Amino acid sequence: MTVILPLLFLFTATSGTAVVLVRDPTRQVFAIAINGLVLTILFDALQAPDVALSELAVGSAAVPLLFLVALMAVRTQAPGEDA
Amino acid sequence: MSPRIRVALLALSALILLPCAAQVIAGLPAFGSTIAQYGARINAITPEARHVANMVSAINFDLRGLDTLGEEFMLLAAITGTVVLLRGRRGEGMTGRAMHRPGRAVIPRSEATVLACRIAGPLTAVFGLYVVVHATVTPGGGFQGGVILASGTLLIYLGEGYTGWRDAIRSHWLDVLEGGGALLFALCGLVPMLTGAAFMQNVLPLGTFRDLFSGGLMLVENLGVAMAVTGGFTQLFLEFMEETREAEEPDEPGEESA
Repeated sequence: MTVILPLLFLFTATSGTAVVLVRDPTRQVFAIAINGLVLTILFDALQAPDVALSELAVGSAAVPLLFLVALMAVRTQAPGEDA
Repeated sequence: MSPRIRVALLALSALILLPCAAQVIAGLPAFGSTIAQYGARINAITPEARHVANMVSAINFDLRGLDTLGEEFMLLAAITGTVVLLRGRRGEGMTGRAMHRPGRAVIPRSEATVLACRIAGPLTAVFGLYVVVHATVTPGGGFQGGVILASGTLLIYLGEGYTGWRDAIRSHWLDVLEGGGALLFALCGLVPMLTGAAFMQNVLPLGTFRDLFSGGLMLVENLGVAMAVTGGFTQLFLEFMEETREAEEPDEPGEESA
């Protein structure tokens, strides 16, 4: 347990930073999903399974899907532009 | 506001707020050291008083049920607002059938995708129902299960395409689910008052500890939340999808409704 928690915090910081640093919106969506997954594991390791389940459902499934759909809409309205 | 003023404002507010934040952070209990007194008290009392094994559900639906009622209507208001905003000038009448955007090609799905979605979709739905039903026994509950159920419907979209998805999901069913869930939760607060009890008092038989039917009124409230969240999130997906297909007439810029 002593190794897992610092490692998870490190992952959280890295994936959170990656969300900001990735500039392509489509990849950014997947970065958000990965960040949500890491947070899910972190919450679970901190013995908060309810919050972990919410984070998994909202943070790494629902929100990325909404973003993907929104990106799809933007792309069809401006053809010829690659993100 | 120029960037210079913005930075100055940031520095000023940081100067004022950071010492306060530092003081609060210093006063927090050490990381992972103790369970807060409130939590310990809840753990001690709830199995006896409410026959419920999942303390989080006990707090959400019973001990602080009024907060959840507020959150329930917050969700309802947020989704209603989003739907109104997205529908814009499209109005209510056009969401009956799937629309196709003229300029866009329909990408055929590979058979592997269809098969994977047909297997995973029902399994996801069953897992969502499991999470909903076992709210008082294991982690999870109406909100989490509802979001899982709503994601499960999206697998239909992934596997069968938009037309198939719209054939399976009806917009007005979602309205009924969402409004009905919120109504059910509100009734759970009001009906106990008919018997002379307090608002949202747990008047139903509490059942057996660690059993599926434990917690009394919590089960009904949990069902209401699950209905509202499933309907609300699916409605949100549907409206976003519909928004990408809105432009039937390409000659209009179509930005004034946003």
